[in-house]
Amino acid sequence: MELKEVLGIRRSIRFFDPERPVEREKIQKILEAMRIASCAVNAHWLRAVVVNRSEIPPETLEQLKVPVAALVQELAPIHIYCYLDTGVVNRVKGSRLKELVDVGALAPTHGWSHKFVDEFVYPQVLEPLTKDPAYPIAAAFDCGGAGTQGLLVAFDEGLGACWTAFGPEPVKKMLSIPDEWIPLYVMNVGSPLESPDAGGQRPRPDFEELYFEGSANTPFSRDPAVVKELEAEKLFTPPATSPNPERMKEIRALARKLGLPE
Amino acid sequence: MALPRAIADYESVTGWAQGLRDQWGGDPLAEEPEKLEALAAFCDFIGKDPDELLAYCFLRRKATGERFGSVKRREEVARQLRAFRDRSGLEGMPARKLVNDVLSFLIHGGVLIHPGMI
Repeated sequence: MELKEVLGIRRSIRFFDPERPVEREKIQKILEAMRIASCAVNAHWLRAVVVNRSEIPPETLEQLKVPVAALVQELAPIHIYCYLDTGVVNRVKGSRLKELVDVGALAPTHGWSHKFVDEFVYPQVLEPLTKDPAYPIAAAFDCGGAGTQGLLVAFDEGLGACWTAFGPEPVKKMLSIPDEWIPLYVMNVGSPLESPDAGGQRPRPDFEELYFEGSANTPFSRDPAVVKELEAEKLFTPPATSPNPERMKEIRALARKLGLPE
Repeated sequence: MALPRAIADYESVTGWAQGLRDQWGGDPLAEEPEKLEALAAFCDFIGKDPDELLAYCFLRRKATGERFGSVKRREEVARQLRAFRDRSGLEGMPARKLVNDVLSFLIHGGVLIHPGMI
């Protein structure tokens, strides 16, 4: 699929076929996409642990579920638990930046050299950054970007997925998570039981409410011709509407198939 | 405990009926009378009417009077639902349906008890 089409068909899928396994190669592709994501200082904070839901002890599964996500976690055959490894910057000490210098991704044209990394960037910027209370926030931004690449690949592979929170303590114990890893989210992955449009593209805030130009007071002016072009490229798909009897019919049928409350 | 009035007349039940109509269309409580029967039987089992059952799931903060959902009480209702299901003698899908009908009443009343808890 073309990139824009993948963006257009992505939905948070909440109904999975609980018994249908996910092919291992598809899981690997999700992880491979995460790995090549853009990342500040080439640090790569994201850690992901793949777990077959059927292999989680029932008691632990009960403990890790959070109320509104419990059903998603119960249905998805694969859980990918995502963490932020806070220790990576002080372990690699700028070595991954020097790799970027070596391959010409970072160049003297922009002020980069091994010496600059060793004598300035790591000791005066990165190491102090790791002591800043805002450090995990910055690193989490990168983890979100990497995770999203994996999420999109899941859809490109015909799977469905949905990020949810999880109870960190039981998972930490179950997966032997190091203390320096901060829990983020779990990507629940499986074969969707919902129709591909899953009720339509979700409502979003107005474009002008979110994006600005020149100052935070000036909304970015949206060109309808661009919107039309993106519709043709399938970035925009038919929007979710209310009422939507077809969608309600679908959910009700799923509720009855899976034995869920209505 | 026999309810002193028709179960459909309780405010919480009219709210449930409205929630079901808004969600699914039609009139699910009229079309599937077993839903009301399940709730009535559960109310009888725990000795509370529907309004009392829903109210029991919420508390108010002493300092501010703010209403909030009580986790402990939700767990208590989940325990009662398990006992109710076990006493019904039903198994499999019929047992699940019985529980789900009560859960539906609670969900439309703003109380989330996940089926996995039962």
